[in-house]
Amino acid sequence: MIDRVAASLGNYMDLLSVRQKLVASNIANAATPGYKTKDIDFQFELQSQLGGETTTPAQVSEVKGLSTHNDGNNVSLDREGRLLSENALRFNVASQLWRSKIRVLRTAVQDGRNG
Amino acid sequence: MSLFQLLSVSASGMSAQRLRAETVVENLANAETTRTPGGGPYQRKDVVFGSASQSSPFGSVFQEALGPGVEGVEVNEVIIDTREPDKRYQPGHPDADKDGYVAFPRISPAEEMVNLMGASRGYQANVNALLAVRDMLHRSLDLLK
Amino acid sequence: MANPIAGISPSAMRAIDPSQMARSSSQANDGSTFSALFEQAVSRVNQYQKSADTAVERFITGEDEDLHRVAMATQQAEVSFELFLQMKNKVVQAYQEVMRLQV
Repeated sequence: MIDRVAASLGNYMDLLSVRQKLVASNIANAATPGYKTKDIDFQFELQSQLGGETTTPAQVSEVKGLSTHNDGNNVSLDREGRLLSENALRFNVASQLWRSKIRVLRTAVQDGRNG
Repeated sequence: MSLFQLLSVSASGMSAQRLRAETVVENLANAETTRTPGGGPYQRKDVVFGSASQSSPFGSVFQEALGPGVEGVEVNEVIIDTREPDKRYQPGHPDADKDGYVAFPRISPAEEMVNLMGASRGYQANVNALLAVRDMLHRSLDLLK
Repeated sequence: MANPIAGISPSAMRAIDPSQMARSSSQANDGSTFSALFEQAVSRVNQYQKSADTAVERFITGEDEDLHRVAMATQQAEVSFELFLQMKNKVVQAYQEVMRLQV
């Protein structure tokens, strides 16, 4: 990566992407008997990837503390809907920040060309 | 695990919920059907969902699963409600048996409506997931600008 | 900031001094000579280009590659190449100026 912060942003976007996939999967299976909500420990994964590139895939685990329906399904559409928006917004922010970093480099190049 | 395959996960959710809604609609339409081609009253239908792994049409030959934990959904089977029909005393009815009872389908409109609302909410949630993923893909494309 | 540009300012300018160049072979390992820096920059740009190509390939064949990763790798390759180009131009310019000096 061109610099450390850009690398962190990249890892952040990777994790958000993984999380969003699980959210969509949970939503699709909101009525599947016996299905348990899945997620990753976002903070833990982020910490363990500080600075370096993504090497090991994130650990997927079942979410604790959710109430279960009669058919064994424990998906909460409220929780998943909230996460859906949050992940999308964070991804938006991270991608904008990364773009502005690249823009700075590009501007330096332009400036160097003239000066 | 690419975001594109995620679109097919959400699409599977939408299909499954739509099928569920269609079943409800069929049940409601036939709530008073006492006569079917197979004889006897209409028998209520239910759908059973099950997780299913999805593959996108663009997926590579080597790619088997979407990745850990990511699953789509499909309707595994449509089951027929085998409960006893609701027998009502209507001696003048053309389908009445020798005791004057007519067998009606055991369908509760309230129960069906709750199911329909669930299907609608589930469908909408999947649509939202699809839109959110599409938005993230657009943001990713913006990185190239 | 990107290393190619940062590396060129102080030590590389010193390395263009002809008397320094004579000693370049003995200093080849610590990277403070211009040729070593240049090689480093070339290999880094190459690396970024290859990573970008790999990412695009994996994306096209449907393998496990996220779109944002492809975009980022492509941008990195592009920007690092542009920076490298500028660095090369500046160096050539500086060299030509030095050559024009009356000795």
